[in-house]
Amino acid sequence: MRAPLSWLREYVTTSATVEEIARRLNVSSLEVERILDVGVADVDGNVGRFLVGRVLEAGAHPNADRLRVCQVDVGEGDARQIVCGAWNFEAGATVAVALPGALLPVLDAPLDERELRGQASRGMILAEDEVGLGDDHAGIMVLPDGIEPGTPLVDVLPIRERVLDVTPTVNRVDLLSMVGLAREVAALTGGELRLPDVEDPAVVDEEPVDVTIEDFERAPRYVGRLFRNVAIGPSPQWLRARLHFAEMRPISNVVDVTNYVMHVYGNPLHAFDLAKLAGGRIVVRRARDGEELRTLDGTLRRLVPEDLVIADGERAVALAGIMGGEETEISEEATSVLLEAANFEPLGILRSSERLALRTAGSNRWEKGVDAYLAEPAAELASRMIVDLAGARMTGHLDVHDGLPEPPVVRFRPGRADHVIGLEVTDAEQRSILEGFGFDVSPEWDVRVPTWRARDVTREVDLVEEVARAVLDHVPLTLPLRRHVRGRLSKDQRLRRLVEDVLVGAGLSEAYTWSLAASDPRPDAIRLPDPMTADQVVLRTTLLPGLVEAARVAVETGVEERIGRFEIARVYLPSGEQLPEERWRLGAIVQGGYAAAKGVAETLYDALHADLAVRRVTHPLLHPGKAAETDAGILGELHPTLLEGEWGALELDLTTLFAAAPDAVEYEDVLTYPAVRQDIAVAVEEDVEVGALVAAAREAGAPLLREVRVFDVYRGEQVGEGRKSVALHLAFQSPERTLTDEEAAELRETIVARLAERFGAELRA
Amino acid sequence: MQRRPERDLARVAAVDAAALERDALAALAEAETADDVERVRVEYLGRKSALKLALREVRDRETGIALNTLRETLEAAIDAREAELSRAELDRRLTEERVDVTMPGERALRGHLHLITQIRREFEDIFLGLGYTVVDGREVETTRYNFDALNFPPGHPSRSPLQTLFLDDETVLRTETSPAQIRTMEAQEPPVYMVSLGRVYRRDTPDATHSPTFHQAEGLAVDEGITLADLLGTLDYLCKQLFGSDRKTDFRTHHFPFTEPSVEAYVSCHLCDGSGCTVCRHSGWIEVGGSGMVDPNLFEFVGYDPERYTGFAFGWGLERIAVLRHGIPDLRELWRNDPRLLGQF
Ligand SMILES: [Zn+2]
Repeated sequence: MRAPLSWLREYVTTSATVEEIARRLNVSSLEVERILDVGVADVDGNVGRFLVGRVLEAGAHPNADRLRVCQVDVGEGDARQIVCGAWNFEAGATVAVALPGALLPVLDAPLDERELRGQASRGMILAEDEVGLGDDHAGIMVLPDGIEPGTPLVDVLPIRERVLDVTPTVNRVDLLSMVGLAREVAALTGGELRLPDVEDPAVVDEEPVDVTIEDFERAPRYVGRLFRNVAIGPSPQWLRARLHFAEMRPISNVVDVTNYVMHVYGNPLHAFDLAKLAGGRIVVRRARDGEELRTLDGTLRRLVPEDLVIADGERAVALAGIMGGEETEISEEATSVLLEAANFEPLGILRSSERLALRTAGSNRWEKGVDAYLAEPAAELASRMIVDLAGARMTGHLDVHDGLPEPPVVRFRPGRADHVIGLEVTDAEQRSILEGFGFDVSPEWDVRVPTWRARDVTREVDLVEEVARAVLDHVPLTLPLRRHVRGRLSKDQRLRRLVEDVLVGAGLSEAYTWSLAASDPRPDAIRLPDPMTADQVVLRTTLLPGLVEAARVAVETGVEERIGRFEIARVYLPSGEQLPEERWRLGAIVQGGYAAAKGVAETLYDALHADLAVRRVTHPLLHPGKAAETDAGILGELHPTLLEGEWGALELDLTTLFAAAPDAVEYEDVLTYPAVRQDIAVAVEEDVEVGALVAAAREAGAPLLREVRVFDVYRGEQVGEGRKSVALHLAFQSPERTLTDEEAAELRETIVARLAERFGAELRA
Repeated sequence: MQRRPERDLARVAAVDAAALERDALAALAEAETADDVERVRVEYLGRKSALKLALREVRDRETGIALNTLRETLEAAIDAREAELSRAELDRRLTEERVDVTMPGERALRGHLHLITQIRREFEDIFLGLGYTVVDGREVETTRYNFDALNFPPGHPSRSPLQTLFLDDETVLRTETSPAQIRTMEAQEPPVYMVSLGRVYRRDTPDATHSPTFHQAEGLAVDEGITLADLLGTLDYLCKQLFGSDRKTDFRTHHFPFTEPSVEAYVSCHLCDGSGCTVCRHSGWIEVGGSGMVDPNLFEFVGYDPERYTGFAFGWGLERIAVLRHGIPDLRELWRNDPRLLGQF
C-alpha cells in the first residue's frame, strides 16, 4: 500500500522524520519496501518556483489558433504573460503556475522564458501530470477560487511528496489504511493520533432504505445510505492527487470518495446508481447457480452458490466485496446514489476471488478480515464528502446487522512478557505500549482488544507479541543456557558424510537431481494428481535415471577426464499406507562398465569395513549379463540403451549398508608372526564364478587362511575350450605362532582338494 | 689393555704394515672415481694383496691382531672415500638437475561435493557445536503434520493446491521441514535442541530465485526459560558464522502461523558492507530468514506444557545462502550438475 506522508501526517502529529517513521514501522509493524519521492524536485529552491496564480485575461493568440495569451497575477504586482495551450479555464480562474527556472518532472531542462509564435511566455500554467499529481493532460488544473495569488503552490497541493510503500503481514489488515498506519506511527514515535473529525451530514427529506441481508454469516453488516441531487463530476485537485499517490485512478467524485475512504479506514465501499437498482432494493444473498453478472471490468462472470452477491429486486448487481457490476455503476448521468458500507466474512471472499481469479483492492482487504465496526465511520466520512463534493442531499440511512462481535478481553501478566522476551520491561511501559496500540488495559491487567485487532489478538501470547515488537530493537543477544544438550550426528548421518567423502576422494562428484521424475520403472510409483510440468510427475523409486541425466550433461560439457557422479537422496516406495516408505539411497554412475561400478562398491565397502558379497541378477536399468546385487542394492553396467558408452552404475540402500558397518573395528594381530604366502592356479569350467572359488577356499582354509585374492584369470589353448584358469593368492597366518612350511602346504592341499571336489578344479600351478 | 697398532705393525716381519698403510691411504687420496677406489681395494685388500697373503701366513696372535687391525683401518678408509666420492657425485648431479617448477603436476582424480551439501554441513556443524542434534525428517507428509500441527489457519494460502503439491487431500510434499519438529517433540520430552535440513517442495514457477524444490534448514530449541533474546542471539551467531564476523544483524516483526512473536532476520550486506548495492536492493540489509517464538498451540498439539516451556524456531533456505554468499546468479543451475559449476566448489 502507498501512504503519502502529508496525508499520514493529517492523522498523526509527530516530530519523527520520514526515515525515522520508516525505521520504526519496519522493526515493529510492517515492511516498508521503500520511500518514494514524487512530485517536483526539492533542490535549489525549486519548490518555491511554483505559485498560485489568477488569470486576469485569457485572449486569443494572434499567430496560433490553438494557443491563448494569458495575463496571470502571481502576486508580483505586475501580471505575467503566459502562453497556454489549454482551453478549460477563463479569465478569473485560479491556476497553478511554474516560474522560469522551475524544474518539472516532465522536462529535461529548467523551464525558460521564451517566445511562442512571437508572444513572450514567462512561465507555465500547469496540468496535473506536469507536477506529478496525476496522469491527466487534457487541461490545466483549475484550483478553487479564493486562494491569494502568489501563495506557494506547495501550501495548496502536495507537489512535493514522499510516499511510503508498505506491505503489512496478513494478520494486520488494519494497517492497510491511513488511520491504522497513523495509529502505529503515533504509538511508535511518541506522537499523537488525530482521527478524522467528521460531522455526519443530517438526513433530509428522509426516504426508506430497502436493504435485506439473507446470509449474516457471510455478510455480518450492511450500512446503506441514499443520496439525491448528486452532481457527478471530477474530484478536486487535492483528492485527485492523493488518489494518484495512493496508486488509484481518479474517476469521478463519488467513485473517488469510495476509494479515498477505503484508503483512510481500510473499509472498502461501493456506490450504486440508485436509479438502476430494480425496486431501489439491496439484497445480500448467495448467487443462484449459473447466475451471471457483468462486472465493472467488462467480463461476464458465471457464478455459483458459494459466491456472495449484492442483488437488487431482480438480479445480482455486484460481486460482494470483490467488484461491482457494470449496469449499476455510477455514470456521469447518475443523480441518485446508494452508498454501501458493509462487512464481509474473509474466507468466502477469498474463495470466490480465487475461483474467479479476480483480486481487487477490496477483496485484498476483505479476505484478511476487516473490522465490522469500521462500516459506520467509513459511511460517515464518505457521506460528508459526497454531500460536500457532489452537492448532494443525504436522504436515507439504514444499518443492518445481527449484533456486532464483542472484542475479546485477555488476562495478561507483564512478567510473562519479560519471561518470553528475555528483557525486563517495566509494567508502566508495557501498559503504555498496549494502550498506544489501542488496547484498553484495566488496573488488574484485563486487556480489552480493540475491534480492529479482534481476529489477531485473542491470547496472552498475542499481547506478549505486542510488547515484543515495540521493544524489539532493545532485545539483547543471548544464547540458550543449554543445560542438557547432546549435539552429535547419528551413526547413519556420520556414515553418509563418510560415503560422500570417500566417493569425492575416489574422483566422483556429487549431483543433485529431482525427486520428481517424468516416469519411473516401478508401475506403482506414486504420481502427483496435478503435476506442475510433464517432467515432474512421479515420486522416484530409483536415483539412477537422474544420475544418467547428470552423466549426459557431463558428457556434453566434455571437460572431465573420467566422469563419475553420485547422489545421496531419498526414494519414495509405495507402502500401501498413506505415506510412502522413504529410504536413503546412494546412487553412482562412473565411466567404465561393470568393473568400474564394482571398484566403486569395493572402495565403499572397504571404507565402511563391511563385506561385499555379490550375486548375479537382472535389473531393468542394467546390462542383463553384467548386473549384480548385494544385500544393500544393485550394481552393474548401465543398460546400453540408457546412455552411449560403457558406464558402471550402482544404487544402494544406505540403511541396509550402514547396518553392516561395525560400530568399532577390532584389531587383528597381523604383525607379530609373519604370513606364509602361496599362489595357486586352478582350471575350472567357464561358468564357475571366481567368487565361488574364493568362498570355498576361505571355508576350507579357515581359520588360518587370512587372505584369498584373485590376481589373474587366463583363457587359452593350454586350459582348453570352455575353461579358464584362475590364479589365487593365498596368505596363511596365525596370531599365535609362526606357521611352518609344512602346515602351509597342508592347508594349501586342503584348499585345492576342496576346489577339485566342488568345482572339478584342476591344479595347474 | 689397548694396543697402538703402529707399534705392533712395526714388528710384523712379512709385510711392512706401516708402509702398506701409508701407500694405501695415499692411493686412496688420489682416487677420483668409484673405479679408482675399487682398484685400490683390489690392490690392498684383494685376495692376492700383500695383506691378505700375509694374513694367511700368520702364525702368532700378536701379528694376527696387528694385521687385522690394519685391514679394518683400510676397509674403513676405503668405505669413507667411496661415500665421499658418491656424495660429491650426488652434489654435482643436484646442481645440474632442474625442473620448470611451473609445469603442471600429476594430479590425483578428485571429485567435488555439491555446493548445497557443503553449506548444509557448515550449517549442521555450527549447530552441532552449539549442542543441537540433526534430525532427518520425512518429505512426504500428512496435512496434519504439515499444516494443522503448525497452526496454519483454514484458508491459509499455503493450504491451497495453488501453492502446495498434493498427493491427495490429506497428503503433501512437505512445504517446510517443520513437520520434523512436530514429530521430534511428539517423540521426546523437552529439552529439544535440533536442526532439520532437507528438500522442501512448493508450487513455485521456476525462475532465477525460485525452484519448486529447494533446501530448507530449520532449527528448534524448546526448554525452560528459552527467550526471544536467545533466538536473536542464536541468529546473530549464525549470521556471523555464515557471512563473516563483521556482519551486523537486524530483526523486524513479522507474522507466521507457527510462531508468536515472529521475527524476520536481516544481515548487513556482505558485499557493500551496508552502504547499498544491487544485491541488498540499496538497503544495506539482506533478508535471511523467518523465525519466532514457538506458538503455544504447537506445544498443545504435541502435549508440552506451554506455561513451563518456551521455545524458538527459525528457517533458512540453503539455496539463498548459496546465491547470496557465492553469487550464484540463477539457482536452477544448482540442479543442472554442470561440471564447470560443480568444480568451482
Ligand atoms: Zn549491498
